[in-house]
Amino acid sequence: MALKSFRGGVRPAGGKELTRGKPIQFYLPKGDLVFPLSQHTGKPAIPVVKKGDPVLAGQVIAKADGYNSANIISSGSGKVKAIEARMTTAGVVDRCIVIENDGQFTLAEGIGTPCNYQDLTDKEIIQKIMDAGVIGLGQGVTGVPTHVKLTPAHPEDIDYFIANGSECEPYITCDEQLMAEKPEWVVGGLKIALRLFPEAKGVIAIEADKKDAIEAISSEIKGNGRIEVMPLKVKYPQGSERNLVHAVTGRKMASDDTPENLGCVINNVTTLAAVYHAVCMNEPLMEKGFTVTGDAVANPGNFMVKLGTNLRELLEAAGGLKAEPKKVIIGGPMMGMAITNLDRPVAKPYNALICLTEDPVEKADGQLTHCIRCGRCARACPVGLVPQMLAFYAERKDYDRYIKLHGLDCLGCGACTYICPAKRPLMQLFKLTKGTIAHNEAVQAAKNAEKEAATV
Amino acid sequence: MNGLLNVSSAPHIRSRLTTGKVMYDVILALLPASVFGVYLYGLHAFLILAASVVTAVLTEFVFDFLCHRPNTLSDGSAVVTGLLLGLSLPPTVPLYVPYLGALFAILFVKCLFGGLGQNVVNPALAGRCFLMISFSSAMSNFAVDGVSSATPLAVLNGGGTVDVLEMFLGFGGGVIGVSGAALLIGGLYLLLCGTITWHIPVTVIASFALAMGLGGEGGFHPLYLLAEVCGGGLLMAAFFMANDPVTSPVTVRGQAAYGIIVGLLAAVLRIYGSTADNVSYSILLCNLAVPLIDRVAIPKPFGLGDNKRKPKPKLPKAALALMVIALISGVALGAVNMVTAPAIEAQALAANAASYLAVLPGAEEVGYEDEVSAALESLDGTEFGRNTVNEAVVGTDASGNNVGCAINVTNSQAFDGTLSVSVGIAPDGTILGIAFTELNETPGKGMLCDEPAFKDQFAGINSSALVLGTDIDGVSGATVSSSSVVSAVNAALAFYNEFLK
Repeated sequence: MALKSFRGGVRPAGGKELTRGKPIQFYLPKGDLVFPLSQHTGKPAIPVVKKGDPVLAGQVIAKADGYNSANIISSGSGKVKAIEARMTTAGVVDRCIVIENDGQFTLAEGIGTPCNYQDLTDKEIIQKIMDAGVIGLGQGVTGVPTHVKLTPAHPEDIDYFIANGSECEPYITCDEQLMAEKPEWVVGGLKIALRLFPEAKGVIAIEADKKDAIEAISSEIKGNGRIEVMPLKVKYPQGSERNLVHAVTGRKMASDDTPENLGCVINNVTTLAAVYHAVCMNEPLMEKGFTVTGDAVANPGNFMVKLGTNLRELLEAAGGLKAEPKKVIIGGPMMGMAITNLDRPVAKPYNALICLTEDPVEKADGQLTHCIRCGRCARACPVGLVPQMLAFYAERKDYDRYIKLHGLDCLGCGACTYICPAKRPLMQLFKLTKGTIAHNEAVQAAKNAEKEAATV
Repeated sequence: MNGLLNVSSAPHIRSRLTTGKVMYDVILALLPASVFGVYLYGLHAFLILAASVVTAVLTEFVFDFLCHRPNTLSDGSAVVTGLLLGLSLPPTVPLYVPYLGALFAILFVKCLFGGLGQNVVNPALAGRCFLMISFSSAMSNFAVDGVSSATPLAVLNGGGTVDVLEMFLGFGGGVIGVSGAALLIGGLYLLLCGTITWHIPVTVIASFALAMGLGGEGGFHPLYLLAEVCGGGLLMAAFFMANDPVTSPVTVRGQAAYGIIVGLLAAVLRIYGSTADNVSYSILLCNLAVPLIDRVAIPKPFGLGDNKRKPKPKLPKAALALMVIALISGVALGAVNMVTAPAIEAQALAANAASYLAVLPGAEEVGYEDEVSAALESLDGTEFGRNTVNEAVVGTDASGNNVGCAINVTNSQAFDGTLSVSVGIAPDGTILGIAFTELNETPGKGMLCDEPAFKDQFAGINSSALVLGTDIDGVSGATVSSSSVVSAVNAALAFYNEFLK
């Protein structure tokens, strides 16, 4: 049977071979730990510690502000050094809690004691996940708190619970390695989730080239009638929500729709591992899988790293640099962010640090030509847009036409930009245009509100 | 890590594919056909290709330089245009022809529209059509080493049969890039390495073959269809010209629609049209329709409306307007034709009468004779090959003596559709002369049939059937026209011998 997938997409070459199969190293940082208060969607968390307070590993240092927010947990022990504005991973200056690490990692009381989830009620399970500060840990700039995803309006309508192990970005292998080494974590998390959705079938979707991961998970789920492993075609962006839902269920999700409406809940495999730790081990979210790779890194590898660890320190743990990098990317090379310096912490939604000695974008800029209308972008677009036409109108600032051609449906996956032989900076143009449209709309809305206020 | 880091918007990696690589792949794919053409036609063919490529490259370079634009030669598109143009020229043209063609293609069709990616129609094709119009005689002269031969397609149109395999391999004669096999190798290479997709070539060839099967002379006979597909540059057009990304639609649906229209239009022009360049014109016309096709063929975004009610598909206003205009002009043309048809017929009769006197020396008047008219009626539309006997009259001199009869015949397979000729035959069967009542052939070539040098060869021959090349020397470069005339005269002789002798 042909492997399931979606229409369009690209096959970015390699990068994964640098770290594929390399065992996970558990790294304990020595330096200060930095926790941005905003690592999730929703409002920033509210600090519950003050400067000078002693903290233990696993202790809540900032409380969620509302249901769509998430707790921040200290991953080490020591004392609060400062609560101040610092550069976050995303390159924004934001409030962070800085903890002076005593290197002991002394656990707070009750952390790490096993617990059988069968003895808990659904409500208790959700509460535990909420307390543990678990958010979507897959690739993404913002993570939705997991307890929100696990409590849709109609849980009885959910018939697919999808564990996203596709990891379609080049270079990154931490999810793959996690599934291969710790399948019990992922499957454990999935079993807990399936408790919450009695009608749902569990599907662990993994790209077909991750053979070790598929094998490990398959043997872990043996005998469980509710869970299956589904190998998917190796194609980017296989892991995007809409494409994943289509590949697994055949259902087509529109841009303004949610997976819940189509009977699906999707969680990354790393998130499920965190759910397993939160519920069965009483361990809140303190560490996550992270790949440090790139041709400038001496010893590329997969890590289980404490949140808040300084990227520079982590890079040293991977043998440091063997060559001068020209570009450093946090996250995957397709959707990640190029960063200016390494003095940033590991935050929840990021899963890789890539140091490259060559900058392919710089090279591409030298090969820029006019669009030759070859249509490769339209064939690559996973949501069926025509980037060539969108770019035409975006360049001319014709926002009405841009919207009419469904330009706002763009996922931002960058497949069009990757494949473009003329090296047009399409993705950049779309990001700019979408931002401008959103800004214009906000300005217009504010004006309307003002007018209304004036007439009343 | 002391150096500054590069920061840019995602994605941070790019495919290896560049515009230059796409163009160089196309050049590589054209090499088999070029090498074969040079092998077949020798040094002059090579000089034509070289002149075309060099002119194309130089023109672009000079234009960029004079207009202070960045040098765009490295993208290789000028070389592709030059090579394609060169391959679509006959191997006999003087070297100023490819020079002018490439100059026109690059300067007027490409650079003035904004260069790579901005041109509206395919530069190589536009260049070729420019040359066809400007140097029609040189552009249709396929004689190599002084041996004049009709191209296989011309023979096919003339009702002859051709060796399809010979034609496919490229030994049948034609332009430099004549070898269908070599072009196909190049096209398959492009398909396999992913430089082009199958949509346009397959739809062009399939829709063309289907239309030729439905409307062509040979129906769905496989050999006939193969010959039509292999001839007239259709393969080159399907793989290299219709497929030019710049002037074809962006979306897959648009490309399929475009390919079908190109194929159909080429077939219609080949069946009904009078130009040998049917494929070129078909593609140029469709190039102009690409913006419209692009608008209609925008795909539905993934999942849009799948879980809700579907929006009604709408035909864009421009398409509707075009349809209405086409309908109105069609009706108007038809009406004008209906009104003027009787007048045209009367004029034709008068013209025929004059021609009868011209081909019957000494005749004072011509008239119908019962016997002759009865014979004509008994034909009841029977055709002599591809000829129709229209009329037969008997001429008498001042004293009422029979000086012979004149027969008017129409041949339907001339180069430009039909030609009609009146043939005067003496009572002893000797041809007295011929005169054209309808001749619309290529100026400077087919039209030379009307010159005494050709016409006068017929007078005085007493034979039951004439052979071109033996009894009659054809007009050089107008094989089809010449053979049509001979065929028409033979039909007149056959009619005479059967009924009037």
